[in-house]
Amino acid sequence: MTALSDGLAGRRIAVCVGSGGVGKTTVAAALALSRALAGGRALVCTIDPARRLANALGLTALGNAQARIPEARLAEAGLRPAGELHAMMLDVKRTWDELVARHAPDPARRDRILGNRLYQQMSAALAGSQEYMAMEKLYELAAERDHDLIVLDTPPTAHALDFLEAPARILDFLGSDAARTFLAPAMGAGRFGLRLAQLSGGYAAKALARFTGQQALSDLGDFLQSFQGMYDGFKERAAAVRALLAGPETGFVLVSSPSPLSAAEALAFHERLTAESMPVAGLVVNRLTPDLWPSSEPLPGPGELAGPLAAAGLLEGPAAPAAGSLAERLAAGLAEHQALVDGERRALEPLLARATGARVLIPRLETDVHDLAGLARLAALL
Amino acid sequence: MADPTLLDRHLLFVTGKGGAGKSTVSAALALLAARAGKRVLVCEVNAAQERVPPLLGARPGDGALQEIRPGIHALDVRPQQAMREYGLMVLRFRAVYHAVFENRLARYFLRMIPSLAELVVLGKILHEARWRGPDGRPRWDLVLVDAPATGHAVQLLRVPSALLDAVPAGPLRHDAEWMERLLVDPVKTAVALVTLPEDMPVNEAIELDAQVRGVLGMVRAGLFVNAMPSSRVSPAEARALRRVEPVPPLGPAARAAELASLRSEEARRHLARARAAIELPTTVVPLIASAGWGLAQVEEVAAAIDAAWRSRGSA
Repeated sequence: MTALSDGLAGRRIAVCVGSGGVGKTTVAAALALSRALAGGRALVCTIDPARRLANALGLTALGNAQARIPEARLAEAGLRPAGELHAMMLDVKRTWDELVARHAPDPARRDRILGNRLYQQMSAALAGSQEYMAMEKLYELAAERDHDLIVLDTPPTAHALDFLEAPARILDFLGSDAARTFLAPAMGAGRFGLRLAQLSGGYAAKALARFTGQQALSDLGDFLQSFQGMYDGFKERAAAVRALLAGPETGFVLVSSPSPLSAAEALAFHERLTAESMPVAGLVVNRLTPDLWPSSEPLPGPGELAGPLAAAGLLEGPAAPAAGSLAERLAAGLAEHQALVDGERRALEPLLARATGARVLIPRLETDVHDLAGLARLAALL
Repeated sequence: MADPTLLDRHLLFVTGKGGAGKSTVSAALALLAARAGKRVLVCEVNAAQERVPPLLGARPGDGALQEIRPGIHALDVRPQQAMREYGLMVLRFRAVYHAVFENRLARYFLRMIPSLAELVVLGKILHEARWRGPDGRPRWDLVLVDAPATGHAVQLLRVPSALLDAVPAGPLRHDAEWMERLLVDPVKTAVALVTLPEDMPVNEAIELDAQVRGVLGMVRAGLFVNAMPSSRVSPAEARALRRVEPVPPLGPAARAAELASLRSEEARRHLARARAAIELPTTVVPLIASAGWGLAQVEEVAAAIDAAWRSRGSA
């Protein structure tokens, strides 16, 4: 079993992926903390709208700007990192705005786009927008070369692949030659909507207007017209982001819980990343139930426990809260525990058989990870 | 029953943190509602893998409407299919639909209308909820939505009101209007939250609760705290067992008891926190230790929910 920190050695970017509820955010924060403790300058960036990361780091809120976790806070948890730990939460809308500002040829054009109603909706609510902006922000942060390690926590996507596909899907339209050709006669020729009927695709456009309303199409025309000349910049950027993700500096970290569902999703993600030649740095299986009965001997019944219990002076314990002797309850408890262990083992088999790279199995910690000290314990296991 | 209002709604969205057990709770509620004689539709939203049919002992379908048990239908609402149905409804004629929707350029435009995919998905669900037969009776007594996780659920449910801000008069706006009206209808529609008795899931539930109230303005009807562990030993017994030597067979058995006791204590703390912060009728669903999940386990969850409601009613 290779430690994940080895799997990530020499890489500057770690992208944590997995289904919801597997402790992805916590693992991301622990990875960053681990690098900070080893003397690196580490940043963890989440796009999770639920602000879980701030929580685990003991901050009340995280902003779009990086915040350094104060040394005093770390010291309270008994941590004296040789490096620095930074954290931030991605503000999707703001990242869009910054992207537009960067590509706009002049302030007037920038303001026209930022003020467009469709743009405002798209940046805030478009599906995949979060994922796209996460990639964008990652690229920007990576280009600054300010950190030894950037850990990106990803949103809990129902469709893990959204993450890889969202930028292409959104840019597919923005950069489409076909759309430009379609729109060309309307652009710069007064109100877009009025010209729709005269386009080569007039029939379709008219029916489309019936569907969306004329005004929505006008807004769209205006929006696309504003974007004219900016497509290429966006596209180049997206291509660069993709190259960065596939490059030697990046490692994807699959995070899974031992549940059948999350293991299946992690496996699907693994296959997809491999197919896309994206580098998988390792797998973290979180919250594994510890195997307390590794031997092949059958589990003990109450009869086998009664003797040792008596020897330990425990048979005449305090009044039982439930029916059954202590020996009976202990036997049933151990059997239930081991049933859980077996179920998890079966669920993980296919994933463990396929996954490449480092592999870390983390037992369910006795208490939740909800503070820096807890993160440090987790970091030690990675 | 102390929760007469929960299953008496027409439309119930079940949401919460990923992995908290939304599908299981949805499936169990469907069983309870069907048992009470209701015609139930359970909707999943663009599930990569349909979860509800297997949980109720049926084979996952291809997303199409199927009766999975007497009185329970299941449907996985997928954007492409929903878009097609919506398009046909608005444009009325198949030929026109094809001319528009099979047109590559038009498809680009449709994709650019912000959140149109979410709108048609939500529209399909709400359409089912308000569907009435020729006799004037609703087609379903209860539409249960196994909604996406926290952030995505808010995004989905926010679409109609967001469109009302963005889209001027037209068919889209018209649809957004009736959809929003149904979503915030305090009698017909409600949201149920599902969480786990753990630190971050509870924090997330508290935050989600505030968003449902503040951002969405929807009625919240109940909180489910799922997978509540219990301990077979008392705290005093657990303390005593800690001194046991780690030698089999007693060592591992004592350790299992100690772990279970720690977990249950911790879970109780988080449950108390959730109750204090979220002022909703709270239903605690016990942890069911099982290697697999199917109808038997969902029946167990349903029985636990039913028992919790009955005891609350008599208390």
